Amino acid sequence: MQKYWLQIAAATDKMTNFANLKQSFYMCGFSNKMRFPVIFAGCLVMMMLCASCFGDEPDGCEADIETVTLHVTSPDDFFFQATDSMQVVFSTDSVITFAVRGSADVSALSPVLTLSTGATVSPASGSTHDFSQGPVVYTVTSQDGKWQRHYRVHVVPTLVTVTDTLSFDFEHYELETSTQRYYMWYNTLPDGSLGNDWATANGGFRLSMSTAAPMDYPTTPLAQGYEGAAVCLTTRDTGPFGRMANKRLAAGNMFLGTFDLRIAMSDHLHATRFGIPFTDRPDRFTGYYTFEPGPTVQDFYGNPIAGRTDSASVYAVFYRNHDAAGNEVVLYGDNVLSSSQLVAVANLGYVAPTATWTAWDVKFEYREAVDEQLLANRGYSLAIVFSSSASGGDFVGAIGSRLCVDKVRLICKHEE
Amino acid sequence: MIMSIKRFISAMLFITVLVMGVNASVLDSLSYDVRLGYALGGTIPTHIGKEIRGINSYYPGFNFTVAAEASYPLDQRWSLHSGLRFELGSMDADSRVKNYDIEVVRGDESLKGIFNGNVRIKSAQRRITLPIQAEYRISDKWTARCGVFMGWLTNRRFWGWAYDGYLREGTPVGPKVEMGTEPGDRGDFDFDANMRHMQWGIDGGIDWRFSRRWGAFAEVTYGFSNIFKSDFHSVQPLRPLYGTLGIIYRIK
Repeated sequence: MQKYWLQIAAATDKMTNFANLKQSFYMCGFSNKMRFPVIFAGCLVMMMLCASCFGDEPDGCEADIETVTLHVTSPDDFFFQATDSMQVVFSTDSVITFAVRGSADVSALSPVLTLSTGATVSPASGSTHDFSQGPVVYTVTSQDGKWQRHYRVHVVPTLVTVTDTLSFDFEHYELETSTQRYYMWYNTLPDGSLGNDWATANGGFRLSMSTAAPMDYPTTPLAQGYEGAAVCLTTRDTGPFGRMANKRLAAGNMFLGTFDLRIAMSDHLHATRFGIPFTDRPDRFTGYYTFEPGPTVQDFYGNPIAGRTDSASVYAVFYRNHDAAGNEVVLYGDNVLSSSQLVAVANLGYVAPTATWTAWDVKFEYREAVDEQLLANRGYSLAIVFSSSASGGDFVGAIGSRLCVDKVRLICKHEE
Repeated sequence: MIMSIKRFISAMLFITVLVMGVNASVLDSLSYDVRLGYALGGTIPTHIGKEIRGINSYYPGFNFTVAAEASYPLDQRWSLHSGLRFELGSMDADSRVKNYDIEVVRGDESLKGIFNGNVRIKSAQRRITLPIQAEYRISDKWTARCGVFMGWLTNRRFWGWAYDGYLREGTPVGPKVEMGTEPGDRGDFDFDANMRHMQWGIDGGIDWRFSRRWGAFAEVTYGFSNIFKSDFHSVQPLRPLYGTLGIIYRIK
C-alpha cells in the first residue's frame, strides 16, 4: 500500500499543472474508484491491529538461585540454629556458604534450590553431592536459554574457635570484579584465609553515579594509613539522580555485615544488614582514626545548616541474632543502636575532629549476661560500624566529611 | 531552533503552493472549512512488544485540535484535501512490563538494565501538522479521506517513572535493584530533549455533513516516525497513534 504514497509523492514533484495532476493521480492506481474505500478501510484496520494486540508473554531471562535449603534427618545436630537450614541468596552473590556444626557429616547432601521463573539448573535441585570435597558448582540457565550464572555452594563444618583479639588492618582490597568501578575489602580470618565480612554501600552509590572513578566513591582505600593501608570514608554528593530522589549525599560507610543492593533504592536503611555471627565475648574496641568534617552541613533538601559541624560514627554492637520466637534478627540502619536485641555496645560517641592519627579504646558496656550455650550455637552477632556522617542515613551531613580508620582491634574476654 | 521552524514553514508553503497554487483558477474551485476536534490517543510502541504485558490505566489529556482545511475537486468523486492543523496532545499511560529495556539518564549519569514491573509514561506536545489527503465523496453527506501528514513539534515533554518492580542492572543477570512507588524510591526519567521535532505518517477520516455549513468528522492518525531521535535507545521506539472526533464548519 505504501507504494501508492510514494507514487503520489513522485507524481507531485513532477506535475506542472492540474491537468497533469489529475492524470498522475489516476495513473498511480486510483483509476478504479472502488479502490479508495478499500485502501481507507485497510488503513484503519492496520492501525487498530497495531494498537490492540499483546504478544505472548516473553520467556524469563533471569538465571538466579533465589534460595537454597538443606534438609537433613536431625537438624539440631547439623545446624547451629534451626534457621540456618535455608538461605536467601542475594542477586549479587555467587558463592553460598552454609556454616554447620563441626561434627556434621557433609558427605551426602541434597540441596533444594528455588530458581528464577522458568530457569533450569544443572546439577538438578535435590541431587545428592559430597560437600566434604569442597564446593559444588551449579549452573543456572534462564528460561529463554540466553543467560547463565554459575554458583558455588559450600557446606563447611565450622569449629567454634576461641580468639583473643580480632585484627582488622584493611590491607586486602581490590576492585569489585564484575564492574571494576569500586573497591571492596577482605579481612584476614583466624586461619589466615580471607573472608568478606566487611561491607560498604559503594554498590549503591554506583547506581546514582555511574561515571564516578573508584577513588571518588564514598569508601576508598588509603595507601598510607597509620600502619600500611587504611580505609577512608568520605561523604559524597550523589549527583543529579540523588537530587531528583532527594537523596543528596552518601556518607562513606563500612561495617561487618552485608549490603543488600536490592533495596538500596527503595528502602536504604534496611539495605545495611549489620552483623556477622560471633562466638566470643567482645570486651574492648580499639583503633586509630582521623576525622575532618566537611565545610557545610546540609539538610535533607540540600540547604546549608549554619553553625553545625558534621559528626562521624565509630561503634561496635553485640546482639542476639534470634528473637524469643526463634526468628532470625538482623539489625539495620534504623535500629542498630536502639534494638532490644542488643547485648553490649562500644560507642566512641563524639568523634573529635583531628587530622593526625588518633587512638580510641572503648570498653563494651554489657546490658545483659551472655548465654554460654547460645554463644556456642552462633546465636550472637557482632557489628562494627564506621560512617563519615552520623546522620547520613537521613541524608543529612557535610559533603567532604572524611573519616579514616586503621588498625582496628576487637579484644575478647574469656571466662576465668 | 528558530531557523528550523522557519525552514519548516517555508517547506510547507512551498508544498502548498506546489499543490494548490499552480493555476489561478484552482482558488475558485476550492472549498474551505474550519475544524475543531478532540483527540484520544497518544504514543504506542512500534509494535506492542511482548515486553508490555498489560495496561493498568490510560488517561487522555486535554487534546484539542484546531484546523483550517481546504479541498480541491479533481472530478465528481475525488478531491485533494490539505490544510494546517494545530494540535495539543498529551497522555498518561500506566502499563505493566516484563523484560523491558530501560535506561534512565540524568545529566552525565545513567542507569540502565532490564525492568520488570510497572511503567508510568506521561507526554505532552504541541504540534503543527500539514496533511495531504485524497478525498472521496461517498454521497452528498459522507466523504472519506486518507493521506499522509508532516508535523512539527513546537513543544514537547516526555517523562515518567518505573515503579513497583525491579531492575536487573546492566543485563538480566546483573544486580537486582527494587524500585518502590514513591518519588525517590522509584526510577524517574525525563526524555524531553530526546524527542524529534519532525513527525510524519498517515491519517484517514470520515466527514459527515449534516447541514449546509455544519458537519462532524472522525479521523485516525498514525505516525511512521519514532517520536524519539534515532540515537536514543532508553525506551523502545514509540509512534503517535490517536483518533480525533470533532465538528466542521464550512466557510465556502
